[in-house]
Amino acid sequence: MLTLIVRRLLLAVPNVVLISALLFFSVSGLLGSPAGLMLGQDASPEAIAQLNAKMGFDQPLYAQYLHWIGNALGGDLGHSYATQESVAEAILPRIPVTAELAILAIVVATLGATVLNSLTVARRLVRPFAVALGILGITVPNFMLGVSLIFLFSVKLGWLPTTGWAPWSEGIIEHLRHLLLPVLTLSAFYFGSFSLVYRAEYEAVRKQLYVRVARAKGLSETAVSFKHVLPNSILPVITYIGITLGQLTGGAVVTETVFSVPGTGNLFVNAILARDFPVMLAVSMLIIVGVVVMNLVADLLYTIANPRIRLA
Amino acid sequence: MPLRTKQVVGLLIIVAACLCAGAAPFLATQDPTQIGLVSLDPPSMTHWLGTDELGRDIFSRLVYGARISLGVGIGAAVVATLLGAPVGLCAGYFGGRFDLMAVQIIDLFIALPGLVLALIITAMVGPSIKNLILILGFVMWPAIARMMRGQTLAVRESAFVEAARAVGAQAGWIIRRHVWPNVAHVAAAQFAVTVAFAIFTSSSLSFLGLGVPPPTPDWGGMVRTGFDYLIINPAMSMAPGLAVAVTVAGFYLLGSREG
Repeated sequence: MLTLIVRRLLLAVPNVVLISALLFFSVSGLLGSPAGLMLGQDASPEAIAQLNAKMGFDQPLYAQYLHWIGNALGGDLGHSYATQESVAEAILPRIPVTAELAILAIVVATLGATVLNSLTVARRLVRPFAVALGILGITVPNFMLGVSLIFLFSVKLGWLPTTGWAPWSEGIIEHLRHLLLPVLTLSAFYFGSFSLVYRAEYEAVRKQLYVRVARAKGLSETAVSFKHVLPNSILPVITYIGITLGQLTGGAVVTETVFSVPGTGNLFVNAILARDFPVMLAVSMLIIVGVVVMNLVADLLYTIANPRIRLA
Repeated sequence: MPLRTKQVVGLLIIVAACLCAGAAPFLATQDPTQIGLVSLDPPSMTHWLGTDELGRDIFSRLVYGARISLGVGIGAAVVATLLGAPVGLCAGYFGGRFDLMAVQIIDLFIALPGLVLALIITAMVGPSIKNLILILGFVMWPAIARMMRGQTLAVRESAFVEAARAVGAQAGWIIRRHVWPNVAHVAAAQFAVTVAFAIFTSSSLSFLGLGVPPPTPDWGGMVRTGFDYLIINPAMSMAPGLAVAVTVAGFYLLGSREG
């Protein structure tokens, strides 16, 4: 187990370093002089040179990169060009928001996909419904789903707040009321793709002998489905969660923008639109490291769920 | 191979979308970029879906928007296939060190969120239709390469490939004449799915404000402006949003093998 973790970590580190370097070089290469961006078009060459020297922009790129990495490891991610605020301080309070949104969306998607596709009651009606819902989840873009949900539940019915965010301090009910639509929006795509993976495995497992034995000893169809087939069909879904966690950050960016959720995705879009290089770089790096770490966690979860792999 | 209902539905949607794009000048009631006097008009007989914040006819913009969405989607899928298919074919056929390297790169790319990657690159090079096609193609090639590699691995072991190798055929010729024809149907299906997700991603980029620059009518951007006027005229965001969803579903239904 430990060797597995170490081996995976050793593989992950060069990946992160490689991508972060690529990102740093291409972003700084293409964006041009940050000093020019910060001071505006009318800045005198002397002022630009002075700022370049002060911020270290006149150094070669690899030196800037090493400097950045060194600072980042020490918790200093630079300062925003737009607000002059510390990037680390801008990002930190936003991470739990995005994490909560993402985790809840994955939980909702996994529960929905496994339970809805395992139901044995009125199977002939439920199955096509689940299939159609899955296709809708995959093909309706996040932004369209979000806008439609806002239109239906907030504008027409008036049940839920349109956009915005209520922290835990405003009470759990208020918090959940603001959280419901974003979580549904973000989970839709994953509900659809988890359903595909789960259904394929479910149908294969249902043909196994031990399922026939369970049925033969007199268990009800529901008990067979949920006690014997479901636990044996969920492994591919767990693997798939690992693969898709990276894509989830993309969905979170759109969802947070639609619902004005103060998360990292929202910060990222605003930084990109404002060409705020330090914020952009820091959030991209956070996403990349997050993706690698989450893939690692998914791998480990997989070995816990399937003891046979541990021996290998 | 008989078409299933799912694929027929997908095909019908695609044909309808293509007709819409091709016949846009005849279908549209007005010039899609013509700024009118009455802005934010509700749906009426003259403006079927109303007018937007600049007084432009929403229905006409919707019809012309099909050109952009289909153009960017299909263009990006072509770029992705041109990049991904050769890499996948070669990695699968030759194996060895090249395969190892290709798989490393493919896995790395697939783990990264496509939309975020596209956002970063678009922010750097600037949004234009040409750039969007290239960027989305670049973001989506690994999925095609992976699919092609898997299929090639299976075909590589078949007797006819071995026979061709035994009579001294060159690798390039075998890939073209024996491997490619046997994996082309998978490539075609993957192509349709890639178009679906290219349209999905490009409209998401537009929604975030980094897509096709105005005044070109684009569905994602139309949803974004319409979102601000959701209470005044819901059709302003719902109609283009629905158009994206239906078009994406069309290509997805045609191409997806599961379900």
